[in-house]
Amino acid sequence: MVLLSITTFIGRLHPVLVHLPIGILLVGLLMQWLSRKPTYATLIPAIPIVLLAGTFSALASCITGYLLSISDDYDKDLVSWHMWMGIGVALVSLMLYAKEKNPAFAIDKKILSIGLLVLIMVTGHLGGSLTHGSDYLSKPIQQIFGGDSSESTAIKPIANVQEAVAYTDVIEPILATKCYSCHNNNKQKGGLRLDQMSFILKGGKDGKVLVPGNADASELIKRALLPTDNDDHMPPKEKPQLTESQLALLHWWITNNADATQKVKELPQTDKIKPILAALQNAKTEVKAPASIPATPVQAADEKVISQLKAHNIMVLPVAQNSNYIMASFVTDSVVEKADLQLLLQLQPQLIWLKISNTNIADDALDMIAQYTQLTRLDIANTHITAAGVPKLAALTHLQYLNLVGNNVNANAVLALKNLQKLQSIYLYKTNSATAYTALKAAFPHTAIDTGGYRVPTLVSDTTLVKEPEENY
Amino acid sequence: MTQKELHNQRLVKEAEQTVMRMNTRRHFLKESAMGLGALAFGSLFGSCSNTTAQSSSVVFDPAHPLMPKLPPFAAKAKSVIYLHMAGAPSQLELFDYKPELMKMDGQDCPPSLLEGKRFAFIRGVPKMLGPQAKFAQHGQSGLWVSEHMPHLSTVVDELCFLKGVTTDQFNHAPAQLMVHTGSARLGRPSLGAWTTYGLGTENQNLPGFVVLTSGGRNPDAGKSVWGSGFLPSVYQGVQCRSEGDPVLFIKDPDGMSRDLRKASIDAINQVNAEEYKAYNDPEILSRISQYEMAYKMQIAAPEVMNINNEPQYIHDMYGTKPGESCFANNVLLARKLVEKGVRFVQLFDWGWDSHGTDASLAIDLGFINKCRSVDKCITALLLDLKQRGLLEETLVVWGGEFGRTPMMENREGKQNPYKGRDHHTEAFTIWMAGAGIKKGFSYGETDEIGYSTISGKVEPYDVQATILQQLGFDHEKFTYEFQGRQFRLTDTRGKLINDILA
Repeated sequence: MVLLSITTFIGRLHPVLVHLPIGILLVGLLMQWLSRKPTYATLIPAIPIVLLAGTFSALASCITGYLLSISDDYDKDLVSWHMWMGIGVALVSLMLYAKEKNPAFAIDKKILSIGLLVLIMVTGHLGGSLTHGSDYLSKPIQQIFGGDSSESTAIKPIANVQEAVAYTDVIEPILATKCYSCHNNNKQKGGLRLDQMSFILKGGKDGKVLVPGNADASELIKRALLPTDNDDHMPPKEKPQLTESQLALLHWWITNNADATQKVKELPQTDKIKPILAALQNAKTEVKAPASIPATPVQAADEKVISQLKAHNIMVLPVAQNSNYIMASFVTDSVVEKADLQLLLQLQPQLIWLKISNTNIADDALDMIAQYTQLTRLDIANTHITAAGVPKLAALTHLQYLNLVGNNVNANAVLALKNLQKLQSIYLYKTNSATAYTALKAAFPHTAIDTGGYRVPTLVSDTTLVKEPEENY
Repeated sequence: MTQKELHNQRLVKEAEQTVMRMNTRRHFLKESAMGLGALAFGSLFGSCSNTTAQSSSVVFDPAHPLMPKLPPFAAKAKSVIYLHMAGAPSQLELFDYKPELMKMDGQDCPPSLLEGKRFAFIRGVPKMLGPQAKFAQHGQSGLWVSEHMPHLSTVVDELCFLKGVTTDQFNHAPAQLMVHTGSARLGRPSLGAWTTYGLGTENQNLPGFVVLTSGGRNPDAGKSVWGSGFLPSVYQGVQCRSEGDPVLFIKDPDGMSRDLRKASIDAINQVNAEEYKAYNDPEILSRISQYEMAYKMQIAAPEVMNINNEPQYIHDMYGTKPGESCFANNVLLARKLVEKGVRFVQLFDWGWDSHGTDASLAIDLGFINKCRSVDKCITALLLDLKQRGLLEETLVVWGGEFGRTPMMENREGKQNPYKGRDHHTEAFTIWMAGAGIKKGFSYGETDEIGYSTISGKVEPYDVQATILQQLGFDHEKFTYEFQGRQFRLTDTRGKLINDILA
């Protein structure tokens, strides 16, 4: 402990000590530079002393810096760069000293001096980034010029795409999300603005970007079609790229004269563009699927309960690394004990996926399962549950997926669940409900109901082989 | 003390003695003079390593290497079934309909298609070869499928075609390695190995990564296509047989009871545990867990690997041939394995290399027979997974290692005896189904004759990135440190194919 606090103490001298080599070595370099003129020739004898002092202080900074880095949490990547650069400063200054003392030393003095200057600057900058954060220096400048804030703008779905104005409703949102960040009133890369029709037509410093009526000749399209690693590719490869359909829309709009006011319906539509336009509209009418993980955060599940369940060969783990919601699966163990279900109840706030298929559970277990009210996915295929038990599941209001395959249940039992609004799919293969499909579909209009029983017919070709026609003799 | 315990004690003592013999002072100094220095140096400069900060969040627990692990984000796919048609099936006779190519049938190949290109076998100027199949649009999605897949065309609304897949390898072995390991050279872990490394497996009585082969031959790249590369060896694919014992020597020999087997495994594990205490080598813990799993597998594997207990209508649906070794049997097994919580099932079916050098490799003969042997069972698999509610969480992938040329092969400049096509890297088709992939969708287009990709171009890396995404991983962050740097499946490449995600 004492040893540790001593190293920490010495380490914390680093921020003081670092300024010594910077100052001393810069003075040394300055003297070296000045001494090239005869007026300052008197400085020459002092240069090695200054450099040696600088080397020693650099060495001291390296040691204290290392101690500081092991005693505190810093960005490992940055620290390692800073450290090696710092060691570089010490080494190069030592070499420069050697060169001053013994001109026969192999490396050119100019290279050493310039190298040292660069190393000092880089090391200093990295050190600054470590203490003040890497955007400390650049932030005020960014604020002057305006940051990249427009990237998060999302494209809104269109209510009626045929009535929409092609430019303002279809094209502008694409440009806004993918182009504006570099081509707007604050920032005009290549002298180009794309945020207004007049600017788009005007083009940039390399000329026009758009030829109305000829998309293939338009720089806007050409650039987007270049391979991503081409320097001229737009948007730059590290920025969000245009999707295929966005590109197709831009192409279509330019081909049809890139008009600012025409409505979509006034423009000719090829078979290729129709589904893409329709998709813009569908985005809204389509009911958005509920997230498979609830959005509301939950506190972490009790580790003790989890390890008890794991000891019973039950797989219990979070659904994802950043989530406290958990899934449980009985796939390894087909014998479910009441105690297991009791334990799971303690995880009720977190338990969202349960796979308890191919086990020995019966209706009494459903009483317990019905209390796992956060469940979104429940697989109870091939168990001993019956039609009498299924209605109990009506309590599971968050349920999205229900698998009842291979159970002795019927359509009436399933109909009892019709108030489960979020159900997206129910699987009823090998249950006694196939005949009541229409009734089920009427009760669950928004749910995919699969009663299975698919057959693949055996065709003649499935059991015969094609043979080479025999040659006629 | 029983006989058994005495026996165990003796084994443990023996192991201890062997260890002690190694631990002499001289031995220590001799062996570790260099090591001690390196150790000190290593800890001194440990903080300089820039690899720890960005290393992947997957933790390797050698004692429970296959324990289920959580993905970084909620996964759409829990399992993957990868159907690889080894030899590379012709996209031009199956899914990529090119009527324009028919018009060029029999003409000399235009020089623009040959300049600066290399082919595996085509030399000189080959003739063009029109599609050797009739095509029709199917389902609500209106996707094109040829007459060779009459069953698959009925479920086309479940499929998502990638028609613009390209690769840079035109020989089977490197191309297969590329598709499965992300590198044309040996030594990298396969997709299935990465998956079980990252996710473990749900069923602790079965391996997490099972491989089944058919067609009479293993894939050209050998077992490396399901190897673990630099990942711990426990993640390599376990090749099972669909005929006889699923795994060789899985049965206890005559006269050995289950108790005796348990006792001997306990003894071996005890010796290994002592060994671990002495050396702390995590591979020993893996070995212990593997013995335990092998013991459990003796019961679980024969049960799940036996297709005879499936009902007759399932056999009819898949067109299986119980007792034989065939692709249909393997496909049914794949469904059974996934149902039992196996993470990754990889099927290889050999015989798709339709060069036209003999009747079995002719595009208008043997190729059709290959199609017939996979069409019904793959369709059955999709429907069976669907009705069991498994297609939502199982990703099915179908494809070869590259495509085939729109030209007729002329091996060494001479006409082949049968119609065939050469290896082609610039365009081929892969399809996926299930687990959050768009249904009834086609992505990517080739030119009028199917020679090269004009839009929606994807590489094997992109397909891998997309599969990993569905399993809950960001392919760029899912890494393993090896030889001083972080490796990932897609290495420096790979772009998620966002357009095919539902």
